Amino acid sequence: MSHNSDTIPLHASSQSDIDEIENLINSSIQSSPSTVLPARPPSPPRIPVSTSPFIQSNLPPPQPKPQPTIQKPPSIFPSAPLPPLPPSSVNSAGGNLSATGFGSPPNTLTEPVWDTVKRDLSRIVSNLKLVVFPNPYREDPGKALRDWDLWGPFFFIVFLGLTLSWSASVKKSEVFAVAFALLAAGAVILTLNVLLLGGHIIFFQSLSLLGYCLFPLDVGALVCMLKDNVIIKVIVVSVALAWSSWAAYPFMSSAVNPRRKALALYPVFLMYVSVGFLIIAID
Amino acid sequence: MLCLFSMYWVMLSLFTMVPPPGENYANPKTCFFHVLFKAGALAFYILSALFFNSFVIIFVVTVLLAALDFWVVKNVSGRILVGLRWWNEINDLGESVWKFESLDQESLARMNKKDSWLFWWTLYITAVAWIVLGIFSLIRFQADYCLIVGVCLTLSIANIVGFTKCRKDAKKQFQQFASQTIASRVSSTIQSAFSVV
Repeated sequence: MSHNSDTIPLHASSQSDIDEIENLINSSIQSSPSTVLPARPPSPPRIPVSTSPFIQSNLPPPQPKPQPTIQKPPSIFPSAPLPPLPPSSVNSAGGNLSATGFGSPPNTLTEPVWDTVKRDLSRIVSNLKLVVFPNPYREDPGKALRDWDLWGPFFFIVFLGLTLSWSASVKKSEVFAVAFALLAAGAVILTLNVLLLGGHIIFFQSLSLLGYCLFPLDVGALVCMLKDNVIIKVIVVSVALAWSSWAAYPFMSSAVNPRRKALALYPVFLMYVSVGFLIIAID
Repeated sequence: MLCLFSMYWVMLSLFTMVPPPGENYANPKTCFFHVLFKAGALAFYILSALFFNSFVIIFVVTVLLAALDFWVVKNVSGRILVGLRWWNEINDLGESVWKFESLDQESLARMNKKDSWLFWWTLYITAVAWIVLGIFSLIRFQADYCLIVGVCLTLSIANIVGFTKCRKDAKKQFQQFASQTIASRVSSTIQSAFSVV
């Protein structure tokens, strides 16, 4: 900052003020990178990463260039620290203004609404793929569901409740309420279980994970709704159950002490089994 | 009867709030959407008892409207009406960090007063309305309706807490920035005074 004061003339012109403010902001960003990160540019599709680049990724010093470059290993959303110079005015929902002379990056405060929607939708899809489908990078589970969101779990729980309710011939409302309450309370209790076992897991991340792992059971319930044969139902539900448990296993087991793995995993398995029974027993 | 009473109470509180005079709404479309989903969820919940017998439909539609409202307030109207945004991230160490983002102070000062009045008041009124409805369903011992109210109340309170924290953080950031500016201006003035000498 001192190098600037030599070039700033004694009289305060507005341009020098602006330069000074800009430099102040740059230096303050360098000192406090964590509280106000101005931009969270649209996250790229998930590029899985192995553990080693991760360990070295302390936040690199921010670049003065306002570009949404990916400064960390790309599996994390690019939280590149950018100068917090949002545009000076904000338009209506459809508008997208650029800054007036500060050269500020596209930050999330002024992106058009459609961008936000697309970003959230793509995050749901990528989370789903990460959790439920096999990919070689699942073994790094703590970092995999970084970008947790609760929309996916919400839709899956509601869908499962609706499917069960539809398959039921009587007491549809109770079935739905029971299914929803069971799943929601079950997810919360399972998370608390892991936390009380001394595990390291973040509450919302775990809720999000348990919700996404319901996807195979959703598929199973849908198939069971369409086919009424008991044998087929049992087979389908067993497959879905195994898939759900397989999906949830790495995340839950890595969060706790290895000796307590079974204590953490057994309730998860129990919950999925009870949901499976609910699916089979509905007529 | 209780429905009518609760509706009356909500309407009364709405009409006693007076918007600041002078300017018009700067973003009428956003304000409309901001209010639409909240009012829709409340209205559907209150009126549905008259038309629908099925709890499932009431639950799904109300919670869906409440969730949409949560998303709209958090991502769209918060940004546009008051220039604030909050979210949660998980950093490298696996800890959860709450991030806040706000426009700079000049833009914040230039925000339409009516917009921000509407934003904050509707947030508070919605939460109060859900609390009232929750009390009613508790009185009637309807556990499943308590579930709906619980979910909607959680979403409203989450938004209120998030935006209040964001606003406080923005004020703090501005104060830090202002004091830094003053300090650096003073020091640069002193330095240039000395360099002239």
